[in-house]
Amino acid sequence: MYRIFIVEDDEPIRMQLKVLLEKYGYQGIVSDDFEHIVDRILEAKPHLVLLDINLPQFDGYHVCREIRKQGEIPIIMVTSRDSEVDELMSMNLGADDFITKPYHTQILLAHIAAILKRAYHREPSRTLEHKGVLLDLSKSTVSYEGKQAELTKNEMRILHLLMENKGAIISRDEIMNDLWQSDEFVDDNTLTVNINRLRKKLEEVGVRQFLITKRGQGYLV
Amino acid sequence: MKWTAYLRDQCLPIVIWALTAGFIVMMLGTLGVNSSAQGFLVIVLAVAGIACLLYGYFRRAGFYKELRARLESLDQKYLITEMIERPDFLEGKLLYDVMIQVNKSMNDRLASYRRASNDYREYIETWVHEVKTPIASSRLMIENNKNEVTRSLETEISRIEGYVEQALFYTRSNSVEKDYIIKKVNLKEMISSCVKKNARALIESRISVQMQDLEEDVFTDAKWIDFIVGQILSNSIKYRRDQDPQIKIFAEKKENSIRLSICDNGIGIPPQDIRRVFEKGFTGENGRRFTRSTGMGLYLCKKLCEKLGLSISLTSQVGQGTLIEILFPKSKMFLLENDHP
Repeated sequence: MYRIFIVEDDEPIRMQLKVLLEKYGYQGIVSDDFEHIVDRILEAKPHLVLLDINLPQFDGYHVCREIRKQGEIPIIMVTSRDSEVDELMSMNLGADDFITKPYHTQILLAHIAAILKRAYHREPSRTLEHKGVLLDLSKSTVSYEGKQAELTKNEMRILHLLMENKGAIISRDEIMNDLWQSDEFVDDNTLTVNINRLRKKLEEVGVRQFLITKRGQGYLV
Repeated sequence: MKWTAYLRDQCLPIVIWALTAGFIVMMLGTLGVNSSAQGFLVIVLAVAGIACLLYGYFRRAGFYKELRARLESLDQKYLITEMIERPDFLEGKLLYDVMIQVNKSMNDRLASYRRASNDYREYIETWVHEVKTPIASSRLMIENNKNEVTRSLETEISRIEGYVEQALFYTRSNSVEKDYIIKKVNLKEMISSCVKKNARALIESRISVQMQDLEEDVFTDAKWIDFIVGQILSNSIKYRRDQDPQIKIFAEKKENSIRLSICDNGIGIPPQDIRRVFEKGFTGENGRRFTRSTGMGLYLCKKLCEKLGLSISLTSQVGQGTLIEILFPKSKMFLLENDHP
């Protein structure tokens, strides 16, 4: 499991980020000892540092520089100043990525995943399981009792979203938003087609009554 | 300074001179001086008087003529004292000294306003940056606790974020400093990120978005253009039609520029309002019918475009839709890059 160190002085954000990262399968480490934050980070040996620029004691630039002196831990800088100058500064100091607050959580997670993949060259082989249905995210397949079917990008994202929130109704809008965030600007009709195809594939591998339609509300697995 | 005006101004001294001359001639007549001597005296007096007038005229005329000419050529009229020299006649000196003082007080005043406006701008920038922290933490809380309530909260948070951003760009649009960075921006990436940001609102309004031919690079500030396109999209969402609303976004290569078009099939703008849509605070008929208009969106778009050296235009027909075109000039840098691959 990847350890991510969250350097953030605002407590609500720090705690919520930790919850969010843990929900998505990372281990979040936090500290409020900003005076020795560099030592705290180095002690924890994280795989990635999420670094806010505005901190008490030393600013994020200083922390970034200090970490770079010690090693190559990937760093994502987070700032609320919406200026290109900050971005340039961060990159010059050796940060790997830069993201502006208030970020979309999906965008933040995508940045984290991309940086981790680049830094450690191994894709976490992630599979999701629900009621015996296995979704392999790296191979983009769904399998049930030994039978397997390949999924398109859209079908996989839809099933991924539903299985991640198993037991909860996900609205069509929610699914569309998720697809849009991965550059698939589908409309209502396309979504219906995608859902139907996905159902068909599930039936092919012998899964029935898995993807349930809640009329007027959305879908549920 | 005209001759006639000067003469009219000197009217009283001329009359006094004429009366005195007449009186002297009369006196000499009664004293028995002969008429040719009288005539000679009149001529001498006249020559002296005219010489005095001419001297007085030319001394002043030169200074005032220059003053007038310099003033007309000046953009900032209050800087006139920097442009002229102190004249050598009394009234001119007095005028010059007064102007110097007026100018100084004006400059002090200006400086204090400039300071105040800079302070205010700095405050707004800090405020915007501070307020983003609670917005970010609210977003995270929503993400970590997804349900009906938090979903509607997210919509509201997005609106707050929109207004905050507008405030930030308003202060930026008014500042004299240049605080943008011109870089290569890929239109497709920029437009997709903008559409993604507005995804929720677009999906909820059932708007279908079509993007075509956006594989072009332009030179501009990414953050600013992102804001401008965001404002245009939010207008298209606000003033959409009920049946099958659409937004088309595409780019065309022109000889020396790239034209980005954002076209919707919304309710359109009445012809009498079109001329004024870029004015600050103008809401028009649509703005009055749909309550949430601030009249700031398109005004800011125009102002920021001007600062970035882009041109923006709007055409619209009621019931048909609205088309907004932004023209990105090809910079020299871009041409060079293409000439020497």
